[in-house]
Amino acid sequence: MSTQVHANLTEEQVRQISGELDEPEWLTETRLEALDALADLEMPDVIRTPGRDWTNLHELDFESFVDPLNAAEDKDQVGPADAEVLSWAEAVAEHEDLLKEHFGSVVDLQENYLTALSTALFSTGTVVYVPEGVDAEDVTIRTEQNSQSLFNYTLVVTEESSSVTILERQSTGQKQDEQYYSGVVEVVAGENSSVQYGSLQNLSEEAYNFTVKRGDAGTYATIDWIEANIGTQLTKTEVSTELNGESSETQIVGAFYGHNDQHFDLDAKVWHRAEHTTADLVTRGVTDDIARSVYEGVQDVGSEAWDTSSYQRENTLMLSDESEADASPKLIINNHDTEASHSATVGQIDQEDLLYMTSRGVNPRAARNMLVEGFFVPVFEEIAVDELREDLEELIATRLRTRD
Amino acid sequence: MSSEQDHLKDTDTEARFEFKKEQNAAVKSDKGLTEEIIRMISEDKDEPDWMLERRLRALKQYQNMPMPTDWPGQPDLTQLDVEEIVPYIRPDVDQREGVDDWTDLPDEIKDTFDKLGIPEAEKNALSGVGAQYESEVVYQNMQEQWEEKGVIFCNMDKAVQEHPELVKEHFMTTCVPPSDNKFAALHGAVWSGGSFVYVPEDVTVEMPVQAYFRMNSEGMGQFEHTLIIAEEGSEVHYIEGCSAPKYGTHNLHSGGVEVFVGEDAHVQYSTVQNWSKNTFNLNTKRAICEENGTMEWVSGSMGSKATMLYPCTILKGRGATDTHITIAFAGEGQDIDTGAKVYHNAPDTSSTIESKSISKDGGRTNYRGLVHIADGAENSSTAVECDALMFDNESTSDTMPYMEIEESKVDVAHEATVGKIGDEDIFYLQSRGLDDDDAKKMIVAGFIEPITEELPIEYAVELNRLIELEMEGSLG
Repeated sequence: MSTQVHANLTEEQVRQISGELDEPEWLTETRLEALDALADLEMPDVIRTPGRDWTNLHELDFESFVDPLNAAEDKDQVGPADAEVLSWAEAVAEHEDLLKEHFGSVVDLQENYLTALSTALFSTGTVVYVPEGVDAEDVTIRTEQNSQSLFNYTLVVTEESSSVTILERQSTGQKQDEQYYSGVVEVVAGENSSVQYGSLQNLSEEAYNFTVKRGDAGTYATIDWIEANIGTQLTKTEVSTELNGESSETQIVGAFYGHNDQHFDLDAKVWHRAEHTTADLVTRGVTDDIARSVYEGVQDVGSEAWDTSSYQRENTLMLSDESEADASPKLIINNHDTEASHSATVGQIDQEDLLYMTSRGVNPRAARNMLVEGFFVPVFEEIAVDELREDLEELIATRLRTRD
Repeated sequence: MSSEQDHLKDTDTEARFEFKKEQNAAVKSDKGLTEEIIRMISEDKDEPDWMLERRLRALKQYQNMPMPTDWPGQPDLTQLDVEEIVPYIRPDVDQREGVDDWTDLPDEIKDTFDKLGIPEAEKNALSGVGAQYESEVVYQNMQEQWEEKGVIFCNMDKAVQEHPELVKEHFMTTCVPPSDNKFAALHGAVWSGGSFVYVPEDVTVEMPVQAYFRMNSEGMGQFEHTLIIAEEGSEVHYIEGCSAPKYGTHNLHSGGVEVFVGEDAHVQYSTVQNWSKNTFNLNTKRAICEENGTMEWVSGSMGSKATMLYPCTILKGRGATDTHITIAFAGEGQDIDTGAKVYHNAPDTSSTIESKSISKDGGRTNYRGLVHIADGAENSSTAVECDALMFDNESTSDTMPYMEIEESKVDVAHEATVGKIGDEDIFYLQSRGLDDDDAKKMIVAGFIEPITEELPIEYAVELNRLIELEMEGSLG
């Protein structure tokens, strides 16, 4: 497939972005290679069944979104003193070796058209570096998009026996008719370290969003993701962990609430590549109005991944008859020493539950809202970051209150 | 188990399938697929023009469609060269529509089916039997009592001649059109043999009817077509069995099955597939189910090099029900990619899919399934359950379900598990005096019991024997 977007994009633009960030030559080259590759790259994989594409990315007119030289944002990058939380430009200046080692080491920067586009054009980013033995709590990254397009890059590196909790929020400041947010997040979790990465996406409902977040878990390392999607018109995300170290673990917790004509295409993936690894994937979401959700969950167990435990649950609650929920939880198992399961359900609010509550004098609307909030509880319980949980609860409650 | 079944238990199952007969063909087409070959097949069958036209149209569609190569994790079909396959072999049998007495068959064909135990099974448990050898049905018989009630069970070629109206209306039109997929188009062009079953209103065929398909020649393709029409309130159970001896080159089986389940009708379609491990098994099977009709698919896939088969039910009428029970067993060099498709297109429809798979010695199984609930199919429910058992880390077990839910008043559940045989279970059985092999066999037999109990006992015994055979000697 060839989208025409690169006709609009030039080497000069990429050089200008790279130059403004004072990047060394190898980084500029990496960007230019990604730009060159655009012509041959495909859109990210979407599920196709006879007669339908679950998400149609080809219809998007990227040319009209991308405005690489006018990126504008409002950003906070805050963290405790003993960890380093740097802007991309600071990281380039102070930690070139770290970037050289890890930039593009987890996500293939030319994996598809949109990752390459992001690589060529990102103008902002965050690098979190946690030295050996340091426990860093409350790293906060807040990005408010004020331009038509914004390309963001995040790298998290934790050294041996360290830990970090990161809370990332995306929102829209100045709204425009159509906006595009693109993010690439790489997490490199060193031996026996622990990363908790929470993300709350609440961009404007006119925005398009493409994000890939992927972690590489070393020996005894843990990577826990929380992925909450509330905003955008169309979101295509992947949250994934490669369990490359023995006894590494991951948890992917997802929550979404789509209404109006929102379309969420959410992938949760885990690759078990070493012995004694554990994964737990839990996603719950609501679809309302004519919203549509697409969920793909993949548990891939390699032939060397002895003694694997891998679990996946996905539940969708449909609040309206016109909404649509598609799901495909997949198991790819190449080692028999595995305990793996997955389940997925789609349904509506249980009428008996509703009757129970209304018969006790709760008005139907309040009863419904309580049941929806209750539906999310198993996911809330998995969110260890209080602030993220509270924000998400509030966003869901607000959205419910605006409903009839 | 009664003594009647002992003959099944005592025979050496492997020897029963693994024998080759000399090829004595009356007509054998060239390899490959050309308009000339299609015309030759049609002429040899003395077909009406409309059927020839359908074949040629299907051939065009086949030529214009790409090979399916972009399915995630699909079996490798690169070794399949349709141009090298002989699509049509008519065995040398006097009577074209098949004899109704086994003794009228040439010795080598009669011997084949004797070894497969078909005449024996016919006596004991079946309402009717059809037997296909290469491209043609060579034996066809049904008990008189069903004929008297208007039940038709004949070979598909005969149905084209004798029931043209029914065939014209139903043959590869609304259910499986050739445009459905490349191998359905191929099938539409070169189909030969198969069964035609017609059950009139309110008739219940009490014992199953069976068709057995045998490929004997090297490098051939078998393309039988099965058309079942069950009128309102009727009931029938159709069983098909398939086997072939193993050759060095590849065989292709690309059958087409169309089932029309009328209002309140009930059709069960059971398959025990044991193609040799050089066979590509690429089938299209589909049922359309009217109001309150019930369709049941029971499938056991043991054989073939690669299978791609997803029996499909379209729940068209209110209150229609579908049940899928499938078991797949993949050993060395096998890739069994099978599953189910259900379209809920009407309110109050329900479906249940139960899939069991076993993979060992480097074999791969995949459950690939699609459940689609259309907008307006209120109060529909579906439950999918997939369980997989793995024996070693050379093998692969995949599960790829797809759920498309456009209606909110539904109950949708999917569950899957994958694991190895429990050490504790084996220990328990060993402590009761079973050796390791027997313990594993017993656990596997228990694992697939939900399937075997759906089959008449002959077939259940057969299925168990086949699985035991697959497991023999290779368990540590």
